[in-house]
Amino acid sequence: MKLPRRMRLALRVQRGISYLCFALFGPILTAIYRFRFRFSAHQVDAVRAQYRAVRAEHPGPLLICSNHLTLVDSIIQTIVLGSLWDYLRHPASLPWNLPEAKNFYHRFSWRLVCYLGRCIPVERGACAEQARLAQARMRYVLDRGDAIAIFPEGRRSRSGRVDDRDFSYGVGQLLNRVPGAKVLCVYLRGMHFGGFADFPTPGDRFYVQLKMLVPHSASTGLRRARDYSAQIVAQLKAMEDDYFTARASGALSLPAAS
Amino acid sequence: MNEAQITEKVIALITPYVKNTEALNSIGKDTRILADLGVNSARLVDIVLAFEDEFDIEVSDDAADSIATIGDAVQLIGKLVG
Repeated sequence: MKLPRRMRLALRVQRGISYLCFALFGPILTAIYRFRFRFSAHQVDAVRAQYRAVRAEHPGPLLICSNHLTLVDSIIQTIVLGSLWDYLRHPASLPWNLPEAKNFYHRFSWRLVCYLGRCIPVERGACAEQARLAQARMRYVLDRGDAIAIFPEGRRSRSGRVDDRDFSYGVGQLLNRVPGAKVLCVYLRGMHFGGFADFPTPGDRFYVQLKMLVPHSASTGLRRARDYSAQIVAQLKAMEDDYFTARASGALSLPAAS
Repeated sequence: MNEAQITEKVIALITPYVKNTEALNSIGKDTRILADLGVNSARLVDIVLAFEDEFDIEVSDDAADSIATIGDAVQLIGKLVG
């Protein structure tokens, strides 16, 4: 499905406005993250350098595939992956987000926040026409070289662990439609408290691990979408295992309280 | 294969994924797979893949997106089976 001209223009306008908005409100958001909630990230400079390198090497369409534990994972991930300066210099690195319309689009204020926060609403169980339209929007921004942050499990992990048994195939279907897109898997977890929650506990320190993945499949169509999705979720699961192994062995420890 | 046989097989393939099992008592062509039967949208893909295996057909992404009711599935399979 080709996106109508009016919608293509609307996405370009939204991209420009969200960029200006980020320039204005990004410092406030970062200050809230740092000082109001006292959040921090483990080896944040190395993580940002790695993300910059990924974008330098793959300036085209990028799917940032992450585990999903809290309602604000997208915001935290955005803050951790790049500094304000990184995003101002490379607007395509500031990812689009795909919030569930039912959760965020019933109030004008939330709609506005989502619009300014570079979001494309999606609806679970939407009719075929709506689903195609949402996918055409995603495809359009990806084709222009932007990044989209997506949660391959399709929902938050209630158990606090990556669910590699019952997950969505949406990311695979999107990859089917944008075959040139690269996949960056991101594992994000609060090191103090972690786990499933609406909001991370103030003072938490986030562990972030990045890994590029090139999913393969000899199949076509929906089977390929399923294979791709399974490989991405398996990668996230492996990264989660790395995290818990490192914590258990003491290789990854929290800094001493000051 | 006639429409009744396809319908019977379609219902059998969908049943393991149905959360609202009471809706199975009144299942028909107009029954909506997601809304009425409570099937998870992600599992709808598994169901379509089960159709492919059972009827030896290939369903495109767009055709899969068009399946909303039992009747849609039966009609699509009937067309692909020929």
